[in-house]
Amino acid sequence: MKRKLILVGSVLSVCIMSFAFTIIQQPKPWPAPEKDAKTPNPVKSNAESISAGKALWSLHCASCHGKKGLGDGSKAAQLKTTPQDMTLASFQTQSDGSIYYKINAGRDDMPSFKKKIPDAEDVWNLVNYVRTFKK
Amino acid sequence: MAQKKTVKDTAKKTTVTADTTTTPVLPKKSYIKNTFDGNYIIDNQTVMVPIKGTFEFDIQHRFGTVDNGLRDLFGIFANATMKLGFSYTPINNLQVGFDATNEKMEVDFNLKWAILKQTKDGSMPVSITYFGNAMANTQANSVALIYVTTGDRFAYFNQIIIARKFTDKLSLQISPSYSHFNDLQGYLNAAGNPMPIFNNDNFSISASGKYQISEGMALIANYDQPLTQNPADNPHPNLSFGIEMRTSGHDFEIFIGNYSSLMPENNAFFNQNNYRKGQFLVGFDIARLWNF
Repeated sequence: MKRKLILVGSVLSVCIMSFAFTIIQQPKPWPAPEKDAKTPNPVKSNAESISAGKALWSLHCASCHGKKGLGDGSKAAQLKTTPQDMTLASFQTQSDGSIYYKINAGRDDMPSFKKKIPDAEDVWNLVNYVRTFKK
Repeated sequence: MAQKKTVKDTAKKTTVTADTTTTPVLPKKSYIKNTFDGNYIIDNQTVMVPIKGTFEFDIQHRFGTVDNGLRDLFGIFANATMKLGFSYTPINNLQVGFDATNEKMEVDFNLKWAILKQTKDGSMPVSITYFGNAMANTQANSVALIYVTTGDRFAYFNQIIIARKFTDKLSLQISPSYSHFNDLQGYLNAAGNPMPIFNNDNFSISASGKYQISEGMALIANYDQPLTQNPADNPHPNLSFGIEMRTSGHDFEIFIGNYSSLMPENNAFFNQNNYRKGQFLVGFDIARLWNF
């Protein structure tokens, strides 16, 4: 009986801990303003655009978001906010305009790249590259 | 993206609010980006001028030549030349800077201007940038160092940099330069007359290249050839090569080469390290960038 109690208690503890971590890991909602989210991408996603986006990704983004957008970059562990896994549908279902807005605006650990990447075309190239992470 | 535009009608003018789904209009002319990774390629300036609002802090070292082997750990523990540099890009395509080096306590003010930029459509096949500085020796006068006027302390460097990004991996540049020292050391001949060692003006030409070997890492190389012939002590050319690593806020280069000075006019005039004799030295350039 005592063993059963310990077993049930352990399982419950693990469940509670898992739930607790699940809550912590959930990214804070970050909706883009409607007008930004609806802005269409003016840059066609072709090899040239994706190559330009990849170069920007490697330079500015990969250290936190990881080479393949998994959120496992070398600096990720030092951040207060866990970078989102960009391969997941929960990320990829948002519009191009929404991703563009977030790159420009930044939030918390994610800096604004408005000054580092001032050309709109470059940011759209980056959006096109981020789309290649989709599984 | 609510924009207001005026629509001309035959009957009347009406103002309408643009739909929020209007596709953003991008500039028609698009320039080639990242011909080089930073302001420096070893001892030379690159064609690049940072984007507006960039503040850059540079730390540069040139160690001693490797000739002494383990006695000074291939020059690493020999006397080093160091430079601290600060630059800012207040407007598009124009950078201003200030440097200070421990070599003869020299300081300079410099200016870099991107005159033309290579375009993606090929209408402009190269990028062209001007770089110039005014440098002063700030050491106190002594028995060995006598400057009569303040103007004697000054030297100037002017360079036109022409570069092309050939592929995503390969960029090359060629940069002719003109240097001038107001006052240079001479000697007294047998008759007791002062004779020059150097011409006060020097023309040189440099060729530099970068080859990207991975995202964030590149092989870099320079060759610098002084052209002006002096009465004595002609400067030797410089051959240098190394690797460059870049992140969002840093640019780091480590290399070996023959130039030991960190002011370009000093190298053009006074380099006595000869690559044919193996007189190479280790150096590094670190740049930290902020965007305001």
